[in-house]
Amino acid sequence: MIRAINGVVIRFFFLVLLQVLVLNNIQWSGYLNPYLYVWFILMLPFETPNWLLLVFSFILGFSIDAFSNTWGMHSAACVLMGFVRPYLLKIIAPREGYDTSVQPVLRDFNLEWIIKYSLILIFIHHFALFYIEVFKFSMFFHTLLRVIISSLFTFVLVIISQFIIYRR
Amino acid sequence: MRNLLKLLYAYHFLLLFIALEIICAIFLFRYNNYHSASFASTSKAISGTFYKQVTDFRVYLSLRETNDALAKENALLRNYLKNNYNTFDTTRIHVRDSAFSQLYHYQEAKVINNSVNKQYNYITLNKGKNHGIKPDMAVIGPNGIVGVVDGVSENFANVVSLLNLKFKVSAKLKKHNYLGSVIWEGKDYEYCTLNDIPQHVVLQKGDTVVTTGFSESFPEGEVIGTVEDFNMKDGNFYHIDIKISTVFKSLQYVSIVEDLKKSEEIQLEKLKEND
Repeated sequence: MIRAINGVVIRFFFLVLLQVLVLNNIQWSGYLNPYLYVWFILMLPFETPNWLLLVFSFILGFSIDAFSNTWGMHSAACVLMGFVRPYLLKIIAPREGYDTSVQPVLRDFNLEWIIKYSLILIFIHHFALFYIEVFKFSMFFHTLLRVIISSLFTFVLVIISQFIIYRR
Repeated sequence: MRNLLKLLYAYHFLLLFIALEIICAIFLFRYNNYHSASFASTSKAISGTFYKQVTDFRVYLSLRETNDALAKENALLRNYLKNNYNTFDTTRIHVRDSAFSQLYHYQEAKVINNSVNKQYNYITLNKGKNHGIKPDMAVIGPNGIVGVVDGVSENFANVVSLLNLKFKVSAKLKKHNYLGSVIWEGKDYEYCTLNDIPQHVVLQKGDTVVTTGFSESFPEGEVIGTVEDFNMKDGNFYHIDIKISTVFKSLQYVSIVEDLKKSEEIQLEKLKEND
């Protein structure tokens, strides 16, 4: 338990710093804004209580906001993502349910499940974030294109990180 | 209370989500210039639409008072209209010419009351004593004679219309210079009668009848009308129907004729009578 908490805390700081110091400075052509920090929400253990999930999401988004001076945007998107996660997990649950020992990584699940799980949550987060940032619907499809491209890119980064960290 | 707590617990996930999103929204709109401006303009547009509806409704309720106020204002403004005022323009145009001395002076006047359907028709004009109008002045219209001034007040003149049983004017046929007198028999406002033309005169329909300038104030040669029909009554004279050239039904502006040498003429004629 203590190890799990340590892991969560370390991951939190690592991802926030990575996002703020490195990834926020990478902006390819305005269409590509990877937000890898959401991996933190994806990687939270299955047995995390729902309310704690929301609180973690809020703190995570708020930290990013604090560093990038975008008050409220990342927090709102993260809280939405955290809100959706339990329902999504229920929908795509395997027949035998979730084992407490497993983590939502490629090591423990097949690729189809990982794609469903990560891509949907990432897309929801990016969708909320980008539209809150633009805050108008006059450029709806332009924004949607940015959402899709950035989501795919973040997803690829998530998969790569999983390969690096949780090798079989 | 217990149930309320139960309810809160049952929905704690959703409630927490809503609370956190509200906090996010507060941060979003408070610390981001673009978002707060956008939020302000949108909310102002919504409240503006709402207030407009309310105002429209309120205006509708007070429509009666507004109407009353407008009617009052209309009445007030109408009092200032030029039509309501008689002109005090009494300037007279005298043509000074050493070779010809002016015999008649013409003055424009507007018909403000008129009738054609009585036996004794009178016309009221908007010029009176103030403008130098006196009784017995002749009144002519754009197409022919109209009548003779009967009585005058300060600003108005009463005119005995040609369509009046009292009216009588000496007239002649333009072609022959035979004298007669024109009267109106009270039948038709478009026709009057020329009497006292002897039967040996050859008449034609369409002959013009004009004034003579003998008795009344009419200048010589003012058109009265054209011969429409004639027949021989018992006696030596024709009974001639004349189509009046003045259209009395649509009479608007007339000229009042002042005979500048009339007093001289009357004086001379009186002198003779005294002999």
